[in-house]
Amino acid sequence: MTPFSRILRTDWFGPLIIVILAVVVIRAFSPQFLSPLNIQVLLLAIAVNALIAYAQMMIIAIGQMNLSVGAIGGLAAISFAGMMEVWGIPAPLAAALALLIGLLCGFVNGVMIAVTGISAFVITLATLAIYKGINLGITEAQPFYGIPANVKAFGNGSLFNLIPLIALPTLVAAVGLWFLLFRLPAGRFILAVGGNEHAAQLSGIKVGRTITLAHAISGFLAAGAGILVVARVQVGQPSIGDDWLILSFAAPVIGGAILTGGHVSVAATTLGVVIVALITQALVLFNIDPFLVQVVMGGLILVAVGINRLRETRMQALKRSV
Amino acid sequence: MDVTPIFEAKNIVKTFPGVRALKGVSLSLLPGSVHALLGENGAGKSTLIKVITGVHRQTSGQLLLNGEEVSFGSTHDAVAKGIGVVHQERNLIPRFSVAENIHLEQLANSWLRPVNYTALNQSARRWLEELNLDIDPAMPVSDLSVAQMQLVEIAKALSLQSRVLLLDEPTASLTSSEAANLFTILRRLRDNGASLVFVSHKLEEVVEICDRVTVLRDGDNATESRPMAGLGRQDLVQMMIGRAESGGTWRKRDSAAQPVVLQLKDLATSVGHKDISMNVRKGEIVGLYGLVGAGRSELAKAIMGRFRVTSGTVEVAGQTARITSVADAIHKYRLGYVSEDRKTEGLILPHSVLANAGVPIWRKLSGFLGGLRDSTVRRAVSPYLEKLEVKTPSLAQTVGNLSGGNQQKISVAKWLAAGVQLLIVDEPSVGIDIKTKAYLHDLLRELADSGTSVIVISSDMPEIIALADRIVVMNDYRIQGEVANIGTYDTMSQAIMGLIHRDPHRAQVA
Amino acid sequence: MTSHDVSHGSNGPISTPAPSSGAPSSGAPAQLSPLRRFLLTNEFGLILLIVLFAVLFAVTTRGFTTPFSLFTLGRSAAVNIMIGLSMMAVIVTGGLSLAVGAIGVCAAMFLGYLIQSLGMPWPLAILAAIAMGAALGFINGFAVVRTGLHSFIITLATMSIFFGVMVFLTRAEAFRGLPPVFADFGKMKFATYFSPLLLVTLAAALGLGWLYRYSVLGREMLAAGARPEAAELSGIRVGRMIIYCHMLSGALAALAALMLVARNGAAIPSMAGQLGQDWLLPAFLGPVLGGTLLNGGRAAVLGTCLGAFLVTMLSSGLLLMRVGEFWVQSFLGLLLLLAVLMDKLRRSYLARRNLV
Repeated sequence: MTPFSRILRTDWFGPLIIVILAVVVIRAFSPQFLSPLNIQVLLLAIAVNALIAYAQMMIIAIGQMNLSVGAIGGLAAISFAGMMEVWGIPAPLAAALALLIGLLCGFVNGVMIAVTGISAFVITLATLAIYKGINLGITEAQPFYGIPANVKAFGNGSLFNLIPLIALPTLVAAVGLWFLLFRLPAGRFILAVGGNEHAAQLSGIKVGRTITLAHAISGFLAAGAGILVVARVQVGQPSIGDDWLILSFAAPVIGGAILTGGHVSVAATTLGVVIVALITQALVLFNIDPFLVQVVMGGLILVAVGINRLRETRMQALKRSV
Repeated sequence: MDVTPIFEAKNIVKTFPGVRALKGVSLSLLPGSVHALLGENGAGKSTLIKVITGVHRQTSGQLLLNGEEVSFGSTHDAVAKGIGVVHQERNLIPRFSVAENIHLEQLANSWLRPVNYTALNQSARRWLEELNLDIDPAMPVSDLSVAQMQLVEIAKALSLQSRVLLLDEPTASLTSSEAANLFTILRRLRDNGASLVFVSHKLEEVVEICDRVTVLRDGDNATESRPMAGLGRQDLVQMMIGRAESGGTWRKRDSAAQPVVLQLKDLATSVGHKDISMNVRKGEIVGLYGLVGAGRSELAKAIMGRFRVTSGTVEVAGQTARITSVADAIHKYRLGYVSEDRKTEGLILPHSVLANAGVPIWRKLSGFLGGLRDSTVRRAVSPYLEKLEVKTPSLAQTVGNLSGGNQQKISVAKWLAAGVQLLIVDEPSVGIDIKTKAYLHDLLRELADSGTSVIVISSDMPEIIALADRIVVMNDYRIQGEVANIGTYDTMSQAIMGLIHRDPHRAQVA
Repeated sequence: MTSHDVSHGSNGPISTPAPSSGAPSSGAPAQLSPLRRFLLTNEFGLILLIVLFAVLFAVTTRGFTTPFSLFTLGRSAAVNIMIGLSMMAVIVTGGLSLAVGAIGVCAAMFLGYLIQSLGMPWPLAILAAIAMGAALGFINGFAVVRTGLHSFIITLATMSIFFGVMVFLTRAEAFRGLPPVFADFGKMKFATYFSPLLLVTLAAALGLGWLYRYSVLGREMLAAGARPEAAELSGIRVGRMIIYCHMLSGALAALAALMLVARNGAAIPSMAGQLGQDWLLPAFLGPVLGGTLLNGGRAAVLGTCLGAFLVTMLSSGLLLMRVGEFWVQSFLGLLLLLAVLMDKLRRSYLARRNLV
């Protein structure tokens, strides 16, 4: 196989071409598109959305789904804001505790799925309701407004007036996840269980623990996304996370993730987030109704899964003909 | 011989609620030998394998490894103690590299130590060389052929210092040249001192490669670990079924004067068949013989409208037929197909006996607004279920809870009830006991005598020679030729093998 | 994507336990008496729970037994049961539909548009709205069959698309000028306790019961859902059946939404929450509590009705007990968890009994 055809086979190549094309086209129609301000706005959206997408990507990697990503993110977000406002806990500690809450929520999901063997769909649908109910029960649907100045500064701050500070945790998460999934045995176990659970078990991999680990990481990432949203919008809204579901699936799927598990890509998922952000931006720049974002995102999912499916069958056909 | 056995199973008893699957079975394996483990379905072979590989724990009895008693709490336990298994289905992680698959076991206990892929590839190369397998260890296994994947699994077992290597139906999905290659490798492993257990229902292969044999029958040893020398295929069959194989039931039937019911002319299909021409006459039994992967089931499904016919013609009862769906084939042309894969293709396992037996005739029986009552269906199908002596507590019983033999009877009964003019039966005796098999054979003959045409697909040569009037031989999605059956095994098997290997340049696939 | 069925090898001896896929729900062991068998069904368990909680609420709360309270309970139950049946119709195929809420809202808004903007007579508009639901269901089913992808991802995408298009076209504004028949029907009482909406639901449930038990179409849907390949080779057009199931689900979702329109007296875009997600929990609670297998091939119409009724009664009872309304959602989530766990235990008990 030549190096070039190897690049063609990677997951990130297609999305990268789309990103470049999209940037060129949008720039051609709208000169202010690449202004520093606009880039900052884009990066802000990408930073948060990438964490949401990673949270789902970890679960797709084991061949399951997590409907509770948004509920966990929302619960972590209001815990973060609430702990600071009501108990006056310093921001770093509050953030750490909120992350822990997310981790715990994910852990509970994982344990329930691993122990009972009930499908992840049903379990996470149930915990979605539970976590969201706890959120509403605590807040009584009222936002927390008392966000400390240092959190606001973090949310507004940027490096060189270009890269928002919020993007830094996401960057760390991306590198960390790549290292986990492609270099550490723990991450390999996650992909192995997603690829062929029975074979993984026969090789001595502890399947239950691996599933639990993936869900715990997913909860952790969702909580991180929730915290970043609080820092960005500077209010602890109980409704944070309500609209994450579609997005969380769109980006990994655009990035070529196979929904039956065993195959995800951090880079391609990130590019998937970028594509969604670019299209949303384009709709705004061209004064197209923002309601249509939903339609576009749904359409993107359909196109992406269709293409993934085609690639899969093409590759199989290629293999058979060799 | 006074070689000490490397592994022994002594008086293994395994009971399931209400059933004694193993009643005290023994087996001893010597180093440097290939040991055949044989038995009919239901004889306890699978249960014994599951005990040896740690899926089930024995109720009583001992497992000894190098003379020391061992007990396996899990499948992984058995693997870790040196019982390597290569299962019938592939157990590899498709997107992982060959090297990582081979060494997954060694990684399994360290969660956070980064994987050193260079070292992994190097070490994997050693095991691949051992098996003469020239593939890049960094290649994902999903890019390999099935035969190569199987060898990777053997490499994986070897890398774990397996002292015993159990191969469950290893040739089931291999072409004959791939199987020959596998045998060369197995012989070399044996000569290097490995102890191999070979489980197969292809007795020709067993006679070819094994030097010792254990046969199970009804949960007991029919033979325990005796040398293969001097045993022939017939002897093995006799041990398996407790009596000589009933080969004499073939009788000459003449249907040359009957009209042609199905005629295929130069058929090509979307799954890769080329130049398929054959016919079946009214009341005739045509055997379709070929090895696994020859395209026989696929041809049957193409006839049934499941796969697309891309060129050529299908004629049913003299009329050109355009069959675009299975529903067409059944309702318009009265064709039926009994699948070899009862569990996913043949029966709707979670549904009742009544529902399964009635599916093809529901539409015919329905009344006003598509309404249909159980009693109507019962009236239509129960004569056939009774005729076939299906044993079930009630017609409401879930089919998945019945024995393989009864399931097979139901999947035949539903086509009898549908009144088909041509029935294609794919591997009729997979997963059923000898008695039911003989019964099914009689039934198919009777069916043909009463005017139904039958195509029997089988890779079991004795079965096809016992049943068919005429045998069509397939290989590589083409028809290799056909022979009239005269019912004697030796002559016929030579004629059939001759046809299979007729085109030598096709047979060499590395 | 579906639950992982652990199947042991393919060539087990005849005597070993039957594969777990052969759930003995229909073919109960011969040695159990019909009464014992009934006592072990989901339906009986649900009836028991309903009676238990009804007594509990009647004793501990004020107002549970007032005519108005029972009237609103029945009215909400009617809608929730319909939503549950709508999901059940897809679960039969072994798939699911996240888009039931979105389809419902689209159908309701279509009704509002037809009546208010086009002046269509209301009986015709109702039929058109139901047809709209079926049409959107057709899109789902067609996409699932054509792409061969799991219905989860397809309906995740279409729920976003359907809802987005609806909001775009209506500018997120409600249709409040509907003829008074709707509101009147929603407020109507017969025998002081009952809402006529219950009759609509009853009719739908009876129709579905007939479909799955006494018609070829329903039987073929079940067969296609249980083992698609076997059904196909037995002459059932599986793809068509899957599309029909999605269309049926869409029509039922539309019906549920129209009942909500009657209750609210208006067609409101937010009546099922963001993207119609608020319907998801009730949609799954009913069938899962009712014992519909998520891997398809079985429809528990009565169970779904009882399950959805139980859920509605619990929510309204909890509200009367002054459990904060926000906690009710958590409680329903817990209930779903408990239900699937109980179901799991019950099935493994039955499976064990079947062997002995």
